[in-house]
Amino acid sequence: MGMFSESVDVDCTTAGQPLRLRWAGRDYSLCADPVRWYERRQWWVEESRAPLGRGPGLVDHEIWRVQVREDTPTGRKPALQPEVQESLTLDLVRHAASGRWRLLRIHDALRPQSA
Amino acid sequence: MTFTHLHVSTAFSAHYGVSWPDELAQAAVSEGATALACTDRDGLYGTVKHLKACMSAGIEPIVGVDLAVFDDDGDHRTQVSGRVVVLAHGHNNGAGYRALCRLVSDAHARTSGKAGGTIPVAVTRAELASRVLDPTTLKPVLTVLLGPDSDVGRAMGGRRYLRPRTLFKRWIDAMPPRSLVAEVVSQLSVPGQPMSTAQAVRMLRLAEEHNIPAILSNAVRYCLEDGAATADVLDSARTLKSLPELSAEPVLAPNGQAWLKPPALMRELAKEIISAAGYGTADLKQILAQTEALADRCRMDPVTDMGWKQPVVPEASVLRIDQEPFLELRQRCEAGIGRRFPGISGKAEVQMRQRLGHELKIIGDLGFSSYFLTVAEVSRMILDMGVRAAARGSGASSLVNYLIDISQVNPLQHDLIFERFLSGDRATLPDIDIDVESAERHNVYRRIFDRFGPERVTLMSMQNGYRARGAVRDAGMALGMDTDDVGQIAKQLWRFSARNFREALVEKPELREFAGRVEQRYYSENQQLDMLVDLTERLDRLPRHISMHPCGVILGDATLLDRTPVQPSGLGLPMSQFDKHDMDPMGMLKLDVLGVRMQSAMAFALREVIRIHPGKAEVVAAGRHPAGPDGRGPDYIAPDGSIDLNAVPLDDEPTFELIRSTHTLGCFQIESPGQRELIGKMAPRDFNDLIIDISLFRPGPMKSDMVRPFLEYRHGFAPEVYPHPDLKSVLEETHGVTVFHEQILKTFNIMTDCGLARADEFRRALGNETEEWKVEKFFRENAKEYPQEVVDKVWGTLKAFGSFGFCKAHGAAFAVPTYQSAWLKTHHPEAFLAGLWEHDPGMYPKRLLVAEARRLGIPILPLDINRSQSEYRVERVEDGPDRGKLGIRLSLNGIFGLSGAELKRLVAGQPYDSLADLRARARITKPSIRRLAQLGAFDSLHRGSGGAANRADLIQHLQNLQNATSSRKGTEVVEGQLSLPLGDVELRNIKPGLPEPTLVDSVRAELDLMAVDASGHLMESHRPLLDRLGVTTADKLLTLRNGTEVLVAGVRVATQTPPMRGGRRVVFISIDDGTGCVDSVFFHEAQEQAGPLLFGTRLLLIRGTTRRTGPRGISLSASMAWDLSQLETLPFPGSEPAGPDVPHPLDGISRNLAITGLGG
Repeated sequence: MGMFSESVDVDCTTAGQPLRLRWAGRDYSLCADPVRWYERRQWWVEESRAPLGRGPGLVDHEIWRVQVREDTPTGRKPALQPEVQESLTLDLVRHAASGRWRLLRIHDALRPQSA
Repeated sequence: MTFTHLHVSTAFSAHYGVSWPDELAQAAVSEGATALACTDRDGLYGTVKHLKACMSAGIEPIVGVDLAVFDDDGDHRTQVSGRVVVLAHGHNNGAGYRALCRLVSDAHARTSGKAGGTIPVAVTRAELASRVLDPTTLKPVLTVLLGPDSDVGRAMGGRRYLRPRTLFKRWIDAMPPRSLVAEVVSQLSVPGQPMSTAQAVRMLRLAEEHNIPAILSNAVRYCLEDGAATADVLDSARTLKSLPELSAEPVLAPNGQAWLKPPALMRELAKEIISAAGYGTADLKQILAQTEALADRCRMDPVTDMGWKQPVVPEASVLRIDQEPFLELRQRCEAGIGRRFPGISGKAEVQMRQRLGHELKIIGDLGFSSYFLTVAEVSRMILDMGVRAAARGSGASSLVNYLIDISQVNPLQHDLIFERFLSGDRATLPDIDIDVESAERHNVYRRIFDRFGPERVTLMSMQNGYRARGAVRDAGMALGMDTDDVGQIAKQLWRFSARNFREALVEKPELREFAGRVEQRYYSENQQLDMLVDLTERLDRLPRHISMHPCGVILGDATLLDRTPVQPSGLGLPMSQFDKHDMDPMGMLKLDVLGVRMQSAMAFALREVIRIHPGKAEVVAAGRHPAGPDGRGPDYIAPDGSIDLNAVPLDDEPTFELIRSTHTLGCFQIESPGQRELIGKMAPRDFNDLIIDISLFRPGPMKSDMVRPFLEYRHGFAPEVYPHPDLKSVLEETHGVTVFHEQILKTFNIMTDCGLARADEFRRALGNETEEWKVEKFFRENAKEYPQEVVDKVWGTLKAFGSFGFCKAHGAAFAVPTYQSAWLKTHHPEAFLAGLWEHDPGMYPKRLLVAEARRLGIPILPLDINRSQSEYRVERVEDGPDRGKLGIRLSLNGIFGLSGAELKRLVAGQPYDSLADLRARARITKPSIRRLAQLGAFDSLHRGSGGAANRADLIQHLQNLQNATSSRKGTEVVEGQLSLPLGDVELRNIKPGLPEPTLVDSVRAELDLMAVDASGHLMESHRPLLDRLGVTTADKLLTLRNGTEVLVAGVRVATQTPPMRGGRRVVFISIDDGTGCVDSVFFHEAQEQAGPLLFGTRLLLIRGTTRRTGPRGISLSASMAWDLSQLETLPFPGSEPAGPDVPHPLDGISRNLAITGLGG
């Protein structure tokens, strides 16, 4: 398992569930129901301020574990041959205030070379 | 869709909940809720506030509690298996609420009520099971929720897979049918962890499997996600561990999702849990429906279930009344007329009877007769105990109270208005407060419990919330900061609310250094300080714990304990979980029995007067009392010399002379620096002046500059002005200035003819943003007979003074002990000061009152092992220059290190003829013997032994003995000395050699061990230094012109920051230099100059200019201050070097509070 923090673009359903994502120039689709939880942060170390009324996202962050598969390439060579293109399990974190997504962890053995 | 939250902790779950009931109710209603629960931990602390909040939000309240349950398998006294939520069923005439109250009381019954008790607040499962059923119908009236924090929930994470099921079945077996539900909670924590969906699923399946209904909750701790950080800090404060420690264990909440989620999100949660469990839509509907069904069963009717606003008083039979209470009250008033108004007739009688009829009609209409009879009963009981007591507050406005001996003030004489106390328009029980001797307060409480029965009485509690100092300490601890660093910061926080911490950093000079550190956030420590400020602000005002209210006693009928849960107080007597704000809503009769130290001091003084003087003649001579009708002294002095203080006429001229002299240290209400200044300006001539003086010295009048015009009119510097001739009769006594509430009432009544009862309602609405405009409208519409400018002017006055003017009845009630204490100080100063030292009633450190005795020339008699008692004593001096005078002998009580048991044995064994005798019979520890020697307690014994050594030699001898053996008690005896009247061989044989201790040494020992400088004033040794600095002493100030620049120096005795006009802070610092007090005022500029010295220094050198405040008053407007102990910083004239420091009594003494009155 690796720890990352790169930006990811995520398309969500109307209910707020991730559906598709674009990461490192490639498109992925979810191939299983995602799991969501909230995980505590060491906010007293990681932050310098905690004023009253600061809003959500100070004490914990929202994490989605998604299983994705790269979309069938259209006019571009896939990074891997189709026979080895298996699903990836990624942990994504959604920043509470901005709604932006970052990649937190990659599970499973296979990782793209760019990482 | 609506969703009802059934598990919600409010801020009144101390060190756990974050949000106030109001916020929660408002949030719930804005999301369409129709009901909301309040389930505080360990008690119903927030329940009444929750009721109020729900009623004003227009939703129905649900009440319950979150309680720990003892482990059936563990040690019953200490081991807890988990926590459950218990909800009361509603609409059953209080059966559910009653059971809930009793259950909560059960949970506290075994605790000690003292801090650090080892027995947790918890119930056994058996208690829970028995309280669930109503004793008469045998139907369940409580529902128990087994959630993630129950033993079942806690076992979910364990390795024993079957354990949760076993525990769940045990609950089913133990509890009556239909009293259990499973509480399913997912706070979306990491899958598989506590509060995760996975665990919620397991709970749901267990319920399904055993056919127990499951409901959904979110175990709420805060209103919004923002509260999560505050909850973390509260967890830290509760467990006394820092956040880094807690997160390592890990025992912090898994995340920050315990908020009052709106219905849509709760539904999403339910969906997620149901689908994770593999269940379908029907199950989703079911869990939500079951939640609402339980909510419906638990909706409370505040009136029929909880007795909302229905006053309950003790049963007539308990009051030993066999007739209608109103008739009884009327008869007792009649009986009182003969006693209070002997020989009244004519117009006076008509007036009095009219007033009595008026009051009785209102009391009768409100049905409050039993209330008055109850208070009268308590009052009579206290007087029968021989305890000094005085009613205070608006109760003094009532003639009924005067006639049935509740109050000692004649309302007709002082023109007090009954409606200020009680009126037909106000159906809440009025407040009657009784001041008793502080030393007797607990005995009075116990007597009330005995008299009315423990089922009808409980003490009231009070909520203690975070203030700046406590908040910064706990915030610092949460961040894992160094305790001393945080302590340093906390020390500088001086009376402002923690919520304005960041603002204060900018404004307050004493925080400047700290603010600087916060600003430069270039390294991590300062980042932490920034966080410290934020967390401190978050803690502001949150309740920390409840404690016994200083005076509230709740009286009810035999059902009282069905209506309030109780828990042991530190005193051992039970205490209600409700505070003063809960009394009216819950229809509870609260009596304020306040312990007043001044009453104890005066009672002590009166006893000393009798003890010292054989009879009336001696008392009359000693006190220079008038000759009286028969030439043998006044009637208020009995033949045995006892003085009936309440019978002393209120017009004693020497007493008023003393008051006008402003030497009023030790006198009730008029000893503070500000009051001494006001007294000096006002020069009171009679008792009514005292009432006015006390009423003027309040934040409101001071703030709004009422005092200056009043004094100008009073002294004739400016002509009195009345807005209209009609108001002259109302405002004449205060020279046209509106001071009293009573005057506001009369003004309303005269100008609008609204009646006094309505007038009081109007007065209450003044200053209230939403009500005041209505009053103005009424006033302007109904005062039509008066010209516009009169109406404008009067309205301006009413608006400005109405909300904070003073009730004259309060003033009158206060003025009585004020006058009495001044009378005692005038006529029997030795006994009075002894009483003050003994009971320490004032605002100053005791050492200042010792200095006052020295200033008055009263001999302060040293500690003596055979003459000193466990109390201060007045004693006739037998020899020396003061021979024949009355002096005050220091007490053995309060010496550092001398235990209560030692003190008792020591006094019981007096007199002692030798140290050996003392060791043998009093069994005093060696360190205590040495300390007694340091204080000179053996000096006369030592002199009597004929030895040549001095006190220093003796101390050294005792120190050697102490070092030689490690035994604690000094029971071993030098052979041949036991109880033989040989004099003290030991003392006689001590080898002389050391120099006699200096005065500085002795005073330092006294300050260190007694916090009092008895042998000499502690500033004495600074005198040469002060002379070089050119310091002026307090007694010389009065001879100086106004505006003279002077230097003064002394030890701090008082520090005050009263609210001021214009909102800018002013700091008053009083210092004592041995010749008297210097009161100095630091305005903004001077505060900037003085900075950290303002609140941090014991010995001060102050430069300032004199301000004449009256014929006998002078104070100082400070411009600069120095710490007298930092020689090198002092402004010596010319280029004179500081010179070597000399020893001072305060060197090396760390106790602050007792010496300067300033903690830290």
